[in-house]
Amino acid sequence: MRRATRAGGAPQRYSAASLFRHGLTHEDWERVWRTVEMRRSYDAVVIGAGVHGLATAYYLASNHGMGNVAVVDKGYVGGGGSGRNTAIIRSNYLTPEGVRFYDRSTRLYENLSATLNFNVMFARRGHLTLAHTDASVRTMRWRAEVNKLEGVESEVIGPDEVKELVPFMDTSTKTRYPILGALYHPPGGIIRHDAVNWGYARAADSLGVEIHQGTEVTGISTDRGRVTGVTTSRGAISAPVVVNCTAGWASLVATMAGVRLPIITHPLQAAVTEPVKMFLHAVVVSGSLHVYVSQTDRGELVFGASTDPYASYSMRGSLEFTEELATHVLELMPSISKMRVLRQWAGLCDITPDFSPIMGVTPVDGFLVDVGWGTYGFKAGPAAGEAMAELVATGKTPESIAAFDLARFEEARLVGERGAAAVGH
Amino acid sequence: MSTAKRLLSGRPTKMRITSRPGEVIDRSKPVRFTWNGREKSAFEGDTIISALAASGERVFSRSFKYHRPRGILTATFHDPGCSVQVGDEPNVRGSHRLVTAGMKVTAQNVWPSLKLDVASANRAAGRFIGAGFYYKTFIKPERLWPTYEKVLQRFAPGGRVSADSPHGSYDKRYAHPDVVVAGGGPAGMAAALGAAEAGARVMLVEEEHSLGGHLRYGSETELAALAELRREVEASGAIEVLVNSAVTGRYDGNWIAILQRNLPHVTERLVKARAKVVVAAPGLIERPYVFEGNDLPGVMLSTAARRLLNLWAVAPGTRAVVLSANEEGDATAADLSDAGVHVAQVVDARRGEQVVRARGAGSLSEVELGDGSKVSCDLLVTAVGWTAPTLLLNVAGDRPVYDERAARFVPGDGLPANVLATGGIVGDGPTAALVEHGRATGRAAAERALARDGTSVTIPSLSPAPHPALYRSRTHGIVDFSEDISSKDLVSAAREGYDSVELLKRYTTATMGPAQGKLETINTVAVLAEATGRSIAETGTTVWRPPHVPVSLGALAGRVLEPVRYSPMQPWHEAHRATPIVAGQWIRPEHYGDPAREVRTVREHVGLIDVTPLGKLDLRGPDVPKLLNFLYVNKWLKLDIGSVRYGLMCGEDGVVLDDGVTGHLGEDHYLMSTTSSGADAVAHWIENWLQTTFPDWQVYMTPMTTAYASINVAGPKSRELMSRVVSDVDLSPEAFAYMQVRRGTICSVPGCVMWRIGFTGELSYELHVPAGYGLYVWESLLAAGEDLSAGVFGLEAQRIMRLEKGHLIVSQDTDGLTQGYGVGLDGLIKLDKEDFAGKQELEWQLERQGYNHLVALLPDDASVVPPEASQIVTGDRSIVGRVTSSRLSPSLGRSICLALVAPQLAETGKSVTVHLPDGTDVRAKVSEELAQFDPGGERLRA
Amino acid sequence: MILIPCPHCGDRNSSEFTYAGEVHSRPSPGDARQGPWRDYLYGKDNPAGWTEERWFHGSGCGKYLRAERHTVTNEIRATRPEVGAGASSRTRP
Repeated sequence: MRRATRAGGAPQRYSAASLFRHGLTHEDWERVWRTVEMRRSYDAVVIGAGVHGLATAYYLASNHGMGNVAVVDKGYVGGGGSGRNTAIIRSNYLTPEGVRFYDRSTRLYENLSATLNFNVMFARRGHLTLAHTDASVRTMRWRAEVNKLEGVESEVIGPDEVKELVPFMDTSTKTRYPILGALYHPPGGIIRHDAVNWGYARAADSLGVEIHQGTEVTGISTDRGRVTGVTTSRGAISAPVVVNCTAGWASLVATMAGVRLPIITHPLQAAVTEPVKMFLHAVVVSGSLHVYVSQTDRGELVFGASTDPYASYSMRGSLEFTEELATHVLELMPSISKMRVLRQWAGLCDITPDFSPIMGVTPVDGFLVDVGWGTYGFKAGPAAGEAMAELVATGKTPESIAAFDLARFEEARLVGERGAAAVGH
Repeated sequence: MSTAKRLLSGRPTKMRITSRPGEVIDRSKPVRFTWNGREKSAFEGDTIISALAASGERVFSRSFKYHRPRGILTATFHDPGCSVQVGDEPNVRGSHRLVTAGMKVTAQNVWPSLKLDVASANRAAGRFIGAGFYYKTFIKPERLWPTYEKVLQRFAPGGRVSADSPHGSYDKRYAHPDVVVAGGGPAGMAAALGAAEAGARVMLVEEEHSLGGHLRYGSETELAALAELRREVEASGAIEVLVNSAVTGRYDGNWIAILQRNLPHVTERLVKARAKVVVAAPGLIERPYVFEGNDLPGVMLSTAARRLLNLWAVAPGTRAVVLSANEEGDATAADLSDAGVHVAQVVDARRGEQVVRARGAGSLSEVELGDGSKVSCDLLVTAVGWTAPTLLLNVAGDRPVYDERAARFVPGDGLPANVLATGGIVGDGPTAALVEHGRATGRAAAERALARDGTSVTIPSLSPAPHPALYRSRTHGIVDFSEDISSKDLVSAAREGYDSVELLKRYTTATMGPAQGKLETINTVAVLAEATGRSIAETGTTVWRPPHVPVSLGALAGRVLEPVRYSPMQPWHEAHRATPIVAGQWIRPEHYGDPAREVRTVREHVGLIDVTPLGKLDLRGPDVPKLLNFLYVNKWLKLDIGSVRYGLMCGEDGVVLDDGVTGHLGEDHYLMSTTSSGADAVAHWIENWLQTTFPDWQVYMTPMTTAYASINVAGPKSRELMSRVVSDVDLSPEAFAYMQVRRGTICSVPGCVMWRIGFTGELSYELHVPAGYGLYVWESLLAAGEDLSAGVFGLEAQRIMRLEKGHLIVSQDTDGLTQGYGVGLDGLIKLDKEDFAGKQELEWQLERQGYNHLVALLPDDASVVPPEASQIVTGDRSIVGRVTSSRLSPSLGRSICLALVAPQLAETGKSVTVHLPDGTDVRAKVSEELAQFDPGGERLRA
Repeated sequence: MILIPCPHCGDRNSSEFTYAGEVHSRPSPGDARQGPWRDYLYGKDNPAGWTEERWFHGSGCGKYLRAERHTVTNEIRATRPEVGAGASSRTRP
């Protein structure tokens, strides 16, 4: 096995001092990652240069010394879901295994700027999940209780405290769906998603990982139940391990290896407004009204909602999405009706039957999956990458992802996050 | 008098010139407004910016990052430096919004003021804060990032919103035109005419305040052509014209979104048009030129200068240099001279002449040319080429291609049959050629829309004229004016590896600002191409995303239309101060002041509850028993007429779906009840089975939930009360026993259904009364029961009583993974039935064991009510269950709970630890029975 | 907004319908082994291209229908009633 090596010696450090030097000398910055010829063989091929694929490759090289890894992507770094999500980080899930997993991810995110020497701008803003019915108050309390037992900060707060955190919120009882309370999760926040992708790509590259953009996987080769490599739009690669880290195309890629996944692909849309001066510090989510909103440092409101109501690979977006979104946002904050939607876009989400991911081995030896991330994949990227790297390097499924295996669907061991979905309405 | 002299005269309208033939201002109607608190004058027809420019203002905002002063660039909606705050409305496009009397306009991004601007210190630091600088710093120590972040937030661009702004009034409209023409320039107007002539109903949508496009500020010949086109459009009965309106996007199925901004009393209206064919005629957008100082106030596009001169009669400067690479530039020079502005020099780019940099302190004072010469001036006009705004074509699936000769992107060949394009986006030509192309395109659109054979329509060719490729001079300047991104930033980012157009865009945020790339995209691509040594065609362009212009949240939301369901008894509830509770679409009484007292009323006397939201499905046909036997886990083939039975439904995955009772009303006739929240889902579920799997079963299902008002009469005196209002049903226990159903007359209302069941555990009758009589029957029952101490009770009292009885509530005491076994109804599940929904999974559940059980828990301290969702934990704090329901029982005088627990805890007498939300632990014991009150059920069988 | 040609009602906005997913047939109850049953519950083809699926016209005729839809373009090339053999299908011209 080729040991991880630095591509061109130690990478250039980013810091205030280097920025200052650069400002004076105007020398070019070192390239953020290399463009190199694709080789014919690697120790592992990761499909998908999003946060999951890049984090997997990075932790393979950094934690396990496996740098002879190629990350291939049909588009560009972070061009899929990793660059299209609304960049919310939180760990206030419902099941203990979910909470532990996302807590690990949040902790990795909190230190990621220093780890990668790339400012990913993680901003701890506090995260509010509003409850408009007594059933959802109960679910919020359920989540809060599980969170606390797992050591994650969460509590149920009342409408007055919601108003204090979000002065623009209509917490009166005159609305159609009055706010009865909220799950308040102080560690939740937002991040610069592109920076995470680039930071991982740069750091992985510096440890020898090769990133091949514009390289579409067209087939996965197997021999007697073992994966042997991939064919791409730029030629074949042989590798004993292939990791499917795609979102939106997970079923199609898995099918190339003969693996059938319990996934339906739905578009998830998002929109952003024109900037205004900061007025919304917290991240606000309303499950009943199917909307989430945060304000970036640039002053834009970033909105998301539930996935489109039918399966589709279309990323064109729809008008009804923005209409429903606006309706619901204005129910929460009626005074911002004059703000304008500047841009809408869509990403693809692979939804599984239990609203939990699929990570680990498949019936094809050496073909691993890190897929089915639905609408919550970005926030899991670091922890998923860390665990997948461990699986690739050691051949053993780490405890943290054991509950999320593919076999659970055939063996009816579904994960209980669907419990939250079922009682959340 | 020359403009220069007027400038010195100091009058408030010092830049206003004498009347222009195409001017849109009404000089007889002065309007007053304020700008940063100072009174200003304007004429009707002026935009905010034209009025301010007329008064001599040159700076309208500060740039995002370096806080450089910004003036007029395009004099259109997309003018990046001209966004202003109007009252409580942020980000108003000052070059588009018309001035109205009393308007309060303030500048944005000018902390602390437009003139004194401490943030301009950023400019000195400019060399250190290139695009993406923040990714490279503030990395350590991490705890300081929130502090840095707050500083960055101060520089966020944009206006302000206020928490007390009213929602305002918005509206929506649906339209079904044959043809939508997006763009009301000459080609668009002609397309509308062509389509109308061919018999189509047309909607013609124009962003500006009137039709005409570039003809509006053109020559006298062009104005004459425009007048003729306008006359024709007005004369046509088939063209609806929407001005100050924009097609913001095209969605699946030619679903066209139009933002209409010109209506009185409505801030904005969203028109949703299902167009058979759409014709894109957006014209062209003039692009800025990149050179040092290109963002100084006084540097503007040729179209901006002509618009100021010819639409609003405002001199854009007093001494001008014109950089011209096309006829538009030449025409601008001519217009400027004609209007009395001194044209110091025309720099002809077609002859290789160049502008290298612009200089000035706060605004333009000097231009340096390619030969090193310097010309002093306060106006530099650039005319270096065009961008085709291809959004509508992009979203229809077309990918524009770069035309090297014309130096711009043009439509590709990927348009579907229901999208056509005409005008400048397709090619160039004199007005007559544009009109001819538009008219033919409109005719072709009509042919397609009306599904006629359109082969007879020949569309003349219209191709882009050759144009020099001018993007950047030999100096660096601003590419994205809203985001403050220079060509140097782009080159640096490309060299660093962000070298595809999408990566570059994301890294530098170029094209991500309010103009969304309309002014910046092509220059960004050109600079990237130059930096990477690729051609523009190879570099490609970014994807244009909707909406074409920003749309207010208010317009997208429209009027507030949130349906609410109330029972017919709602007036009574309101009159009696019921506390409402939101239950899905329903709003119903939670209680009437004192739930514990309501419980006592039921337990001791008789109480009425409004249960109208309960799902009710009328089932008829010979195969209803088969259907019920399939839907429920228990057996249904033998149920006598007059009987009701409780049933549990599971999904095909064995997960508990719903429960309720179903009664056999008569020959082939059943009434099913479902949970309130499950009513719609169960109706869908039944339709699904009947239509997709058992199409030969003869069953008709009719949802009856709102056709009946439903009242539960519960309590030991309920039979007595019923006997006073029911005339035609024998209510004796022998004749009308527990779990039976009768149809009869209540309070003289015939056609009522009554069944003897009891969620509360008391003798009780559930009445389903034709909805129109609901309130009458409710009031009559109360009147009839006055001497029986009859009262009412709400949802809360019912929940307390059902908990005392250990009755589960699906989705509260079960969750998304709770399968049929373990919820206290094991005896109900009949695996010996040949088939039913979920049977396989329930069989496997039983084999597998290990599932959670629903148990009743009694806290050792009877005064402690563990809040619902309290977790049940082991010594090492792992979670082994949770409290699903809990209340203080007024009947028992102690706390009671239901809980889902791991199988090892589901033993009578087992002591468990309940972890409360306040962090303390309490002990509780598993009770023998789920029911704590009358476990034998004698009361309800009374 | 997708326009769905309902075989009973004509062209209608997709907002009137509920998406009911890929067409899967239920294994016969007598022969239900775990593998095929769980595939019936959870397995999906999820193709990027033409697929046959069900929609329920809840705000219209109340009927289920079959649609052939392209999951990338969302184009619907044909619909037919779910119930009853030989019923007329509606194909876009």
